[in-house]
Amino acid sequence: MTMLQTAIPSAVPRRARKHRPAAAIGRLGLYGFLVLAALFFAIPLIIMVSTSLKTVEEIRTGSIFMLPQALDFSAWAKAWSSACIGRQCEGIRGGLWNSILIMVPSTALSVLISALNGYALSLWRIRHAGLLLSALMVGAFIPYQVMIYPLVRMSSTIGIYGSIPAVVLVHVLFGLPILTLIFRNFYSALPEELIKAARVDGAGFFRIFFRIVLPMSTNVIIVALILSVTGVWNDYLLSLIFAGRENLPMTVELASLVSTRIGVPEYNVNMAATIITALPPLLLYLFSGRYFVRGITAGAVKG
Amino acid sequence: MIGVQIESLSRHFGALPVLRDISMEVQPGEFTVLLGPSGCGKSTLLASIAGLDDLQGGRILFDSADVSDLEPAERNIGMVFQSYALYPTMTVRQNLSFGLEVAKTSKADIQERVTWAAQLLQIEPLLDRKPSQLSGGQRQRVAIGRALVRKTNLFLFDEPLSNLDAKLRTEMRVEIKELHRRLGATFIYVTHDQVEAMTLATRIAIMQGGRIEQYATPEDVYERPASLFVASFIGAPPMNLLPATLKQTSHGVVAFTGDHTVSLKGYPFKIAPADGQPIVIGIRPENILIDGNVAPTLRAEVVVVEPLGADTLVWVDCAANRMAVRTHPKEAKGLSGSIGLSFKVENLSIFSKDSGLRL
Repeated sequence: MTMLQTAIPSAVPRRARKHRPAAAIGRLGLYGFLVLAALFFAIPLIIMVSTSLKTVEEIRTGSIFMLPQALDFSAWAKAWSSACIGRQCEGIRGGLWNSILIMVPSTALSVLISALNGYALSLWRIRHAGLLLSALMVGAFIPYQVMIYPLVRMSSTIGIYGSIPAVVLVHVLFGLPILTLIFRNFYSALPEELIKAARVDGAGFFRIFFRIVLPMSTNVIIVALILSVTGVWNDYLLSLIFAGRENLPMTVELASLVSTRIGVPEYNVNMAATIITALPPLLLYLFSGRYFVRGITAGAVKG
Repeated sequence: MIGVQIESLSRHFGALPVLRDISMEVQPGEFTVLLGPSGCGKSTLLASIAGLDDLQGGRILFDSADVSDLEPAERNIGMVFQSYALYPTMTVRQNLSFGLEVAKTSKADIQERVTWAAQLLQIEPLLDRKPSQLSGGQRQRVAIGRALVRKTNLFLFDEPLSNLDAKLRTEMRVEIKELHRRLGATFIYVTHDQVEAMTLATRIAIMQGGRIEQYATPEDVYERPASLFVASFIGAPPMNLLPATLKQTSHGVVAFTGDHTVSLKGYPFKIAPADGQPIVIGIRPENILIDGNVAPTLRAEVVVVEPLGADTLVWVDCAANRMAVRTHPKEAKGLSGSIGLSFKVENLSIFSKDSGLRL
């Protein structure tokens, strides 16, 4: 009898669930964890910014976590235009232009070519398409250091070693596998009948691509652009090897700047130079993060 | 108007045969419906006529010119797809004119053709919208419009109505039939809906397992099915089928089914019947009469009476076979227990049990 009585109340559904204290604690824990995770990634950036605004004296005497006493942008100016890289004291602004010269053709070419590849692999019946795709996958997972020496020999054989075209070519090659996969997965979600309808309308391979498929690809193009731009911009090794001394991008300049020591190490200048170098991809994420998430969920991962 | 001849066509995907040695001839101006259950190869056959797939054998001729190796655009056809396949980033106008632009038609001509098609399909107010801003029925009209603007006399439809709701489907069905009458062009239309097939077609090709079982007028297909498959596929409820055995007697040919003897005297056998041959007797529900006579052809037990409004279906059990009888509601009132059934020999369809073919 007592069992029956205790059993009845628990069988009644509780309505006041959201006011229970346990739920509030759970919420608190959830937010606590999220804040911690955000801090974990934000603290290095905060320290970089705060250090870049300190004077050399302040850095030497104070703790790394201390906030600057006054906002002093002189380190930024120095990093931009007068910090010494080896014997040249012109800052890292020269590297910015080189980085852009390398990045624009590399990303444009690799996105265009991989969009075409993905379109061909997913929407046209191609013999051994599966095999080609696996080959691409292998290409995406082989560490590229393995291929550097043959690539150096090949580019010097065709006479472009040590130039912008060489480094662009290498970037395009290494960008293709993963970008092609992203495009292929996005395009396999498109209805096949669309291509058939266009074929009945008389359009060929390229016309269908440029008139019908490409205009539908905005989201995935943005995803590919972000991946490609950050990849190319952040690259150090390939540019160092293939670009030649005249065309070194910001990342390589930055490394040289940091390792060039005249007197006391100027951590504030180093930090400022690092932030300037990292700014373009950072801004790209900030302004297109929305598309990035949408594009990834719309096709890049789904397939 | 274009006539289409298909000569021993075969298609396979890898080792899987989809079309086996198909031959048929579509007359100019005809409305041919390819009908069959899913996976019977009807859409593949249509895609082959459109030239979207390569053939593995056989030829396709348009007005006796071989088009087997031509690209879809070179065959000059209009095609409507099940998913509509409208170009999502283009407006309706651009969707309609795309094919003409590709064919390098002059701007004035494009304008004229698009206006003509839009008027015909009553989609003029929609011309500047994107497909995503259209309802299902409107998209369907645009898809038909895209096929219409091309100057052609052969139109292919791949299950165009199956994504619409029942009411809209009935409306569009009437419009497509009207369109066929107005254009006088040749239509080839794929569907799995027998009502669409019966109402639209001048001839129906019923397909099963990559073969054409019967290619005939809707009346013929309904009244004289060429095989057991056709008999059981067409009609709702389908033809009643009674297994039986043939016997030659002094009174002519008779069939034994259970305890009953059915006289087949006067049945136009295509092949001379053999004594003792196992057969299947087919009879449409509306051709069975409920017979109050003392000696009816069959006796059966009433199972369920289903009033449908205009008529009533009486389900009966006759020698372990469930049969449907379509009758007038008045006649069906109060039916129960054992009833007598009769029918006329000329309304029967007799099939060989072994081959499934009509005798």
